[in-house]
Amino acid sequence: MPKRAIWLIILFTLLFLLGVNTGDLEFLNNLGNTICLSCIGVG
Amino acid sequence: MQTFRWLVQTLVTLGTNSYLLFPFGSVIYQGPLKAVCHPGLNCYSCPAALLSCPVGAVQNFVASLRFSAPGSWPHLGTMVIGYLGFIGTLVGRLPCGWFCPFGFIQDLLFKIRSPKFALWAPLRWVKYGVLVILVLLLPLLLIDRYGLGQPWFCKLLCPSGTLLGAIPLILVKPDLWQTLGFYFWNKITILAILLVTAVFISRPFCRVLCPLGAFYGLFSRMTLVHLEYIPGNCVQCQACVRVCPTGVKPYEDAHSPECIMCLRCLDACAFHALDFGLRQYMGDRPGSKPVNS
Repeated sequence: MPKRAIWLIILFTLLFLLGVNTGDLEFLNNLGNTICLSCIGVG
Repeated sequence: MQTFRWLVQTLVTLGTNSYLLFPFGSVIYQGPLKAVCHPGLNCYSCPAALLSCPVGAVQNFVASLRFSAPGSWPHLGTMVIGYLGFIGTLVGRLPCGWFCPFGFIQDLLFKIRSPKFALWAPLRWVKYGVLVILVLLLPLLLIDRYGLGQPWFCKLLCPSGTLLGAIPLILVKPDLWQTLGFYFWNKITILAILLVTAVFISRPFCRVLCPLGAFYGLFSRMTLVHLEYIPGNCVQCQACVRVCPTGVKPYEDAHSPECIMCLRCLDACAFHALDFGLRQYMGDRPGSKPVNS
């Protein structure tokens, strides 16, 4: 149902904005800038 | 349509892994684009990757939930959840069919001439277990003395990370060889099995093990953009079934969570029994299959 989809989009947009404004962006940036060795099973 | 899809897959795979300076400086790209998640499965430890991996990001957010310095607020990862949920609600598993590099690699392998086999249908439920256990529960529950968990899907299973991250990393940094142990060889074995299987069975990883596909699939029955079945035009010729890479029967369930919206069925149908576009606000057109609520 399109109404449900629209409400979900609003909800997820709000979650996204909440994350951006509570430091998730910096966390993700730090994460991506650090070599993660989990792909070789280390760390 | 398929030629266009191949082009999109190629451009997205190459474009999001286009940091070619890694042999000459920092091993990975460390610019601002790393704060953006790839819509598909693409390891951010791949030396050439420009974007972050959404599954890796979720795991790291979950792994850090019980780790907090005094006076600090835990990061809940709502940015990534919102991002993935937005994509899922909008287009469902379309990123699987159009943007995911590892899905593209499996598509290429399946084009190798060989006997082709069907996948045992119940195996499709395994990916939901991978999502819940490896991506959510283990990073949350298996913590060290500081309260920090680990990305267990990345460590134990992810073949995209092995192929696009681990192998290039150990080639660029040979001194990492001495750190390789059980986890690495376990993942190499899994990768080898999946790559060989992908020659004989279409998209085995996507259908059986991918947690991102499992997540996007949760939204398949409510996406704004969807595949529509028009039963009045269908003659049950099975042409759509023969070309579907994920074993979907569009005339039975056009909104299946297995559908990656590759639109091969659309191309194959000579009777215009399938359509693709925005879900109509007032419901489907007359004569079409009612939308599952």
